[in-house]
Amino acid sequence: MINYIIKRILLMVPTFVVISMIIFVILNLAPGDPSAQAAADGTEAVSQDAQEAYRIFQEQFNLDKPILLNTRFRLTEEDVEEQVRTIVAFQRPVCADDELIEQIEEEQERAEEEATLAPAAAPEDEAGPVDEEMPEIADPADDDNCTPVEERPTTAEILSAQETLSDWGNYVVPELISIAQHHDQADIRHFAVNQLSSNTRRPILARSDPDPPPEIRDKNREISRENRVLRRWQVPIDEDEDAVVEMLEDNWIPWFEENRDRFEYSTGDKVGIFFLDTRFAKYWDNLNPFSLRPLRDDEDSLQSPLTIGAPDFGLSTVDRRPVMNTILEKLPYSLTLGFLAIFLAYIISVPIGIWSAYNQNTIKDQVVTVILFMLYSLPSFFTAVLLIEFLAVGRPFDFFPTGGFLADSARDMPILTQLRSVAWHIFLPIVCLTYGSLAALSRYARTGLLDVIRADYIRTARAKGLSESMVIMKHAVRNGMIPILTLMGTMLPFVVSGSLVIEYIFNIPGIGLYLYESIFMYDYNAIMGVLLISTVMTLVGILLSDISYAIVDPRITFD
Amino acid sequence: MTSQNDSTTTEPDDYQTYGEIVWGQFKKYRVSYYSLWGVFALFVLAMVCPVLAMNVPFYLYVPEGVGPEILQGTSYPWFVALFDQNFFNSGVDIFFNFLLFYVPFVFLVWFGLRGKLSPGDKSLYKKRRNIFIGVAMAVAAIGFMMLYGAEFRQPYVDYQALTELDDGVRALFPPLEHSYRNVNLMAVNEGPSWEHWLGTDREGRDVFTRILYGTRISLTIGIVAVGIYATIGMILGSLAGFFGGRTDAVILRLIEIMMCFPVIFLLLTIAGFIEEPSVFHIMLIIGFTGWTGIARLVRGEFLRLRNQDFVQAATALGLDRLRIIFGHVMPNAIQPVYVAATFGIAGAILIEATLAFLGVGPPDVPSWGQILTSGRNTQDMTMILASGFAIFLVISLFNLIGEGLRDATDPKMRK
Repeated sequence: MINYIIKRILLMVPTFVVISMIIFVILNLAPGDPSAQAAADGTEAVSQDAQEAYRIFQEQFNLDKPILLNTRFRLTEEDVEEQVRTIVAFQRPVCADDELIEQIEEEQERAEEEATLAPAAAPEDEAGPVDEEMPEIADPADDDNCTPVEERPTTAEILSAQETLSDWGNYVVPELISIAQHHDQADIRHFAVNQLSSNTRRPILARSDPDPPPEIRDKNREISRENRVLRRWQVPIDEDEDAVVEMLEDNWIPWFEENRDRFEYSTGDKVGIFFLDTRFAKYWDNLNPFSLRPLRDDEDSLQSPLTIGAPDFGLSTVDRRPVMNTILEKLPYSLTLGFLAIFLAYIISVPIGIWSAYNQNTIKDQVVTVILFMLYSLPSFFTAVLLIEFLAVGRPFDFFPTGGFLADSARDMPILTQLRSVAWHIFLPIVCLTYGSLAALSRYARTGLLDVIRADYIRTARAKGLSESMVIMKHAVRNGMIPILTLMGTMLPFVVSGSLVIEYIFNIPGIGLYLYESIFMYDYNAIMGVLLISTVMTLVGILLSDISYAIVDPRITFD
Repeated sequence: MTSQNDSTTTEPDDYQTYGEIVWGQFKKYRVSYYSLWGVFALFVLAMVCPVLAMNVPFYLYVPEGVGPEILQGTSYPWFVALFDQNFFNSGVDIFFNFLLFYVPFVFLVWFGLRGKLSPGDKSLYKKRRNIFIGVAMAVAAIGFMMLYGAEFRQPYVDYQALTELDDGVRALFPPLEHSYRNVNLMAVNEGPSWEHWLGTDREGRDVFTRILYGTRISLTIGIVAVGIYATIGMILGSLAGFFGGRTDAVILRLIEIMMCFPVIFLLLTIAGFIEEPSVFHIMLIIGFTGWTGIARLVRGEFLRLRNQDFVQAATALGLDRLRIIFGHVMPNAIQPVYVAATFGIAGAILIEATLAFLGVGPPDVPSWGQILTSGRNTQDMTMILASGFAIFLVISLFNLIGEGLRDATDPKMRK
């Protein structure tokens, strides 16, 4: 038995890893981007500071890393050049084309006319690198250094090229250096030099830790000093080629020679990067419960021994608080609702099941069965809305509050008053959660008892002259309730997921409602956290129900 | 033709196939039997929706000099609008409109052919009947694909405004002159009246019409989603059960993984992340997450059956494995799937209604859950009750059928 349990628990680990991987991939492949949510005004990051903030955000949530496997050490110069060329092609003037020139001249004339009509000129917009403005026209003679109209990249292509280049980060530094040295087009060399200063930047260690140990702090100081220096090694766009070459020769190449070992990867490094420098690996690194790091210091974190070494789900992208803290705050509400509902469902349905099995095929039995069956088919959100309308809103009654868990006025009251307030609030939600499982459970109880009641030993008990209540209660019920008891384990996940709709309708701040809100905020870490908690509960529930089989029924062994 | 003396192929007169036994048992559960008719009636209702409620006239006569030129003379716009993808922008609607003509046609052909299918010989008759059903379904699928793929579109005409011109325009409208999408800001949040039987919603759309067309959505989602997951479950379950060993271990692990997924959460997450969710997305999501139960059932049946004599006989005959699995074992293993699938339809409809209620479904589809939400937002009791009752009705019909089917397939319960 012990062996079996240990084996099952060990098997749970890979299952859990695979599930977390699938959820993770689904979330990360889904359209919509939390960093897009972070830039509240919906504009693209244009100024350098805004870009910097965007990158820090990306780094903080590991969004700059590939999802599952990292093959960036295999990037070649061609890959990098392709991205660079896309961006540079946009900055180049458009090749001269007679029709186009005419068209543009016409437009300019029209614009001038309009400008004279409306002298109050619109304020100049901040010209970003991706602004869709009218490209300047190259001199027809200068064929080499222009982009044909049809090859001019779209805004989306440039954005994605910029994004890709900066995501590649340190991995492409040697390639950029090589492009800056050897490429045959001047503006590409220029761009590569400027791109170097952002790609060589190193991320700060332990960013989310507000109080890092001194050695990390020193190291961070060093990194940011270097980052600042590297950032300055740029050549303004209007300077000529010599300045570029000079910058390269004076600063970049010596620096690169000095730090060359940072960009050369041994086979071991490559394997490590392949599996570990990914979003998923970083996520798991935080999640790993065996790392036993204390819970992040938050202003209102619960500093109890229980939370030490708890898995870290990362920060919420919405409120920048650790997701684990929020979940721990919200879990009690859901657990209260869920366990109360299951408890009540058992308390009510077992007697009903026994009673209707005892009165099998009578009118009474059929009436009860039909009523339970109707309850089973009644969607709980419909009932919840109806109950609120009839009993809470005041049409015609307002016995109950319309939502919430605890009245604000009762928050500082003595514990009994608080309990009364809670009971008052959760009465309707509990009703809605309970009635649906009643039908299923009592049916199980009924068939369980019916299976037993025809058994020989029951006949023996009756023949011995035992009273009917003794026969049913002591001999039949004990065996007949085995199937329904073992169901209890499988109802554990229901504690979390079953109450989502009810929490939503009654506005109870449990984790169902938290998940619902997080989905609409694209709060990946929060969604992952809730889904994983719920997965763990399902796994434990299944295990418990299997174990309870063996405990309740001695005929079943796992050996 | 079988000769009367050949006792190995002739069946005795009281011979009943397993399906006939189950059907005979099923008829004895009156409530379930009537529920089956209820579902059938719902299907007919879903098909005839446009006959009952649509804002396009069956028949239109516009005298010369009135309205746009193309409309002049006699026309039958209703028949055209049925397949117009500007008017019905969902494939579900086009499909049911197609069935509205196709199903009566099939029945006519069937009654015409029935005399020629040699009804005297039971087995031959059955074989030909099955061929007929197969051909009819294939034609339906191809016909619908072609119709939907043709992307027939027409400019929108406001026929109601045209008839109100009252210049000798004659038109015959369906009894309810509403479409489920027609926004009418002049009649917002109205109570029930003769014109709007269940009132109007926040955008002035007729609630009764929306609930009527919602039948189509619910039935389609239930049946297609369960069709998807029953197929997946049957294939994976049969492979696991038949081959055992490593295949079984891998598929079991897969089942365990899928079972541990918090399905309603997962559904909500995926549905929330799809940028423009459509009915088909919801079906696919439910279909790809729900197959574990059926896979386990089928696996269990296959484990029980794979060592039986008839399987060994088939193996000894040298039949290939796929044929043994799907031709010999599957027919014997499939009956618990029917029961599970019937309950599954009710479950899928409930899930869809829940998703729509939470606001993650497709926005302009007349889903009952969505009607319930908007009724809740506008405190409109008629909308809440009507849509909630519709969900309740369909779910209980399917649950009742499932209940009857479960008892009918259970030898212990045989009456």
